[in-house]
Amino acid sequence: MKAIEDFTLVGKTILRREDGYLMRGKAQFLDDLPEPKGLIHLAFVLSPYARADILSIDAGAAKALPGVIDVLTGKDFVDDIKLFAPVIEIGGYRPVRRPVVAVDRVNFVGEYVAVILAESPYVAQDALDLVEVSYDPLPSVAGIDEAAAPGAPVLHDHLGDNLIFKTAFETEGFADRFAEGDVVVEEEFRLGRVTGVMIEPRGCMACPDPIATNMTLWTPTQIPHIVRTAIADHLDIAESALRVVTPAVGGGFGTKAHVYPDELIVVALARRLGRAVKWVQDRREELLTNAHAREHVLKIRVAAKNDGEIRAVHLDVRTNCGAYPNHPYSPTLEATAAVRMMPGPYRIRNYKYDVSSVTTNTAPTGAYRGTGQPSAFLAIEGMMDRVGRRLGLDPADVRRRNTIRPEEFPYVNVVGVRYDTGSYLPSLERGLEMIGYDAFRAAQPEDRLVGGKYRGIGICNYTEVSGTGAPGWRVRGFAKMPGFDSSRVVVEPDGKVTVYVSQADAGQGHYTTFAQLAADRLGVDWADVMVVEGDTSKTPYGTGTFASRGSVVGGGTVIRCSEKVGVKVRRIAGYMLNADPERLVMKEGRVFDPASPDRGLTLREVAETAYSMNNLGLPQGEEHGLEATDYYDPPMVTMANGTHVVQVAVDPEDGKVEIERYVVVHDCGRVINPKIVEGQVHGATVQGIGEALMEEIVYDAEGQHLNANLLDYLLPTAMDVPDLELSHIETPSIDTVGGIKGAAEGGLTGAVPALANAVGDALAGLGVNITRVPLRPSYVFEQIRRARAAQEGRT
Amino acid sequence: MILEGDTLIPADRHAVWTALNDPEVLRDCIPGCQSLERQSDTDFTSSVRAAIGPVSATFGARITLSEIEPDRGYTISGEGKGGAAGFARGKARVDLADEPGGTRLRYTADVNVGGKLAQVGSRLIQGTAKKLSEEFFGRLGERLGATPGAAPSAPAAPVAAGTAGLSGRRLLWAGAIVILLAVIAWAIGR
Repeated sequence: MKAIEDFTLVGKTILRREDGYLMRGKAQFLDDLPEPKGLIHLAFVLSPYARADILSIDAGAAKALPGVIDVLTGKDFVDDIKLFAPVIEIGGYRPVRRPVVAVDRVNFVGEYVAVILAESPYVAQDALDLVEVSYDPLPSVAGIDEAAAPGAPVLHDHLGDNLIFKTAFETEGFADRFAEGDVVVEEEFRLGRVTGVMIEPRGCMACPDPIATNMTLWTPTQIPHIVRTAIADHLDIAESALRVVTPAVGGGFGTKAHVYPDELIVVALARRLGRAVKWVQDRREELLTNAHAREHVLKIRVAAKNDGEIRAVHLDVRTNCGAYPNHPYSPTLEATAAVRMMPGPYRIRNYKYDVSSVTTNTAPTGAYRGTGQPSAFLAIEGMMDRVGRRLGLDPADVRRRNTIRPEEFPYVNVVGVRYDTGSYLPSLERGLEMIGYDAFRAAQPEDRLVGGKYRGIGICNYTEVSGTGAPGWRVRGFAKMPGFDSSRVVVEPDGKVTVYVSQADAGQGHYTTFAQLAADRLGVDWADVMVVEGDTSKTPYGTGTFASRGSVVGGGTVIRCSEKVGVKVRRIAGYMLNADPERLVMKEGRVFDPASPDRGLTLREVAETAYSMNNLGLPQGEEHGLEATDYYDPPMVTMANGTHVVQVAVDPEDGKVEIERYVVVHDCGRVINPKIVEGQVHGATVQGIGEALMEEIVYDAEGQHLNANLLDYLLPTAMDVPDLELSHIETPSIDTVGGIKGAAEGGLTGAVPALANAVGDALAGLGVNITRVPLRPSYVFEQIRRARAAQEGRT
Repeated sequence: MILEGDTLIPADRHAVWTALNDPEVLRDCIPGCQSLERQSDTDFTSSVRAAIGPVSATFGARITLSEIEPDRGYTISGEGKGGAAGFARGKARVDLADEPGGTRLRYTADVNVGGKLAQVGSRLIQGTAKKLSEEFFGRLGERLGATPGAAPSAPAAPVAAGTAGLSGRRLLWAGAIVILLAVIAWAIGR
């Protein structure tokens, strides 16, 4: 569809209507919902072992505690919940299914072993200490290298080893093209394991309808429809008898875009017992059991010509699946994202990748903001710097040499992804200019030591995948991921508008943005548009809000659907005005012919006719009501882009990395609401700073989780976040409705490589090679100490 | 996780040895020790109650002795289970040496912790171990100081306690692992 050029409200900052109640603490999160009578509270007994046989579970003392209703184990669920697994259809993937509560064997620390049912959450917690589980610990394995090694403990016997996913790709004549390089540069990069830490941890509450057999599940998810389908599949419930509702959601970040065992368990128990059942996660459980992400090893070999042209790239990505595949993505999500996104903004035509994932005795990994892209760009952007150093070229020039130029669009990359439009080179140039790159380089001494600190600059020029449609999910094997989203737009009898969207807001500002889009298309005041989301009983089916889908797919369907309703409004108005509907426009709540603007109707007058609330009839063949439904399946993917340029100072005394300047140039196509886009860029960049400099979930070699608390899992605070210097470039898509591209993840994707490269640049004079994140002070200090010792050894 | 520490006990090596062989002394000096029982020549069980902050747990510990060098050193290995609080497994090498002013006791323990203990307590174990060890050795020092002839000023004085039989000697090792386990249990609540 063509880009729409007549937007009036789109592109304007409207303050978020949700902030009033969010900032005043008025939002109703899961744990704020009124509790139904007879509510049962759950608590889960978690495995303290990474791998063990369960010999016995003695719940006698727990059951004797007043207020405890029952204690159930894995065997109590095998009859009403099928083994839990995603549906993945891609070559090289070997399915693994799991019980929602462990039966006989545990495979990671935090796996559910038993469930306490109690009259109050406090009693449920007390009862946890009284359940005596006897385990026989077994040899376990936590790391990727160890799990892939011969003789490693095998988690799932039917696989024979721990390799759950492996696939490869190679362009024609790859070896020959690779041999054409004048130099070959090789590196191995590693990213620590992280997770999306939300203000609101997860939880869920299932309420059976006292009259019908219906069931309502309240869960702060990003994917209410997919949750409904998964529960219906695994519990044999009719989808029509299950309603999934999201209350206010305190952050999602992809972590809440999974289906979790506890969601199945509360529904199964509510159905079995005929009582409402609720569970709320605590911070330790969040860090132990929510989907983790990253923990990738990327080996990359680049063949380059002497002028910096990249001839060919071979990327080998290995990822850690955790003990079981997550639902609904499996470990193929980050694995295939990393290898498919690596070409990024560069003209890479000869490409080979190998990608694999191993099961280990750790928590399942899954989606988290950036999905695979921080890893892909850590590798390729790291190589841009290394090729530069190797050939004596400025790293910015190596990027310039390889970046796809404006005149090359539309461009189909080496793995078949279409880049319809983009500002890859202008974005890079603007970022360099904003930070004063040339002046910095000119002043930078050989040893990078200025004022007692090592100072360097890092660049990440990236593409950002967004708004994935059905073909984009199928090509990666996600058989049950719809790709489309949908909306229903209703002009009510009073002329006000209700917009129902298949997505689920987790704080992104949908209630403002989607109202803005519908108001723009229907020519009404945006305050007269209400948005309803996150309720499968009210909205048509859809994929949900993750992977930067909100604006592209949700926004796209709201635009289309509003225009569909607009057609009917004009048809009825044309009949009422005895005018050609094609000539009518909708503006400021009125419908009129621009040739005679005084002779118009209010939207309310048209609606009254549509709803039979006056003496006028409808034209022949016209139905009552004033609404439309739309299902929008966007292109395979839509590529946004951007550039981060960061200047850091590394203190050799303590290894601390200080961010001195942080420049972001961001292009998400058509901007709907600039303030909201800035919020997305800021938020994602801060999470990127966390991933690059401090966040890491640490397992010991046996699979013991060593930092399931926020004193030891470090998140960036206001003290760690610099002022971002932000600049927008607006290059609308020519493939998506409204020219919109996604905006939610690039901040993170750009930050991790840019910071790693900046630290690498700062320490390049010392000969330190930065190949991993997080770059915590202890690690950086150790690298500096060793490098200095080696230098002294030489002199 | 490696835990290391040493302390100077104001008594001669034999006095330290003997006092430590007295189960009553051990039970008094180990914070939270409820029982210490010998199951065989080399196996012991003990129970240590730790109630700190919001978490309280009774650690049931099994201890095995090996590499015994009477009066000089030994290796103890053991496992303690604290139910919902998690578990600890470890090995410790303990050495005694004469020193002016008394006896130097050194220990190096390699301890693996699991469950909640590891998840929320890893970072605090070192510091807490040091503090609890000091408490244990402080109580022991007080007891020995009260024993005639065991004061640091008179290291050569005769030992008041009875003969140190094999089983008594083993109780020393048991005591030491229990200290470590108690230390670890103590960290749970932090």
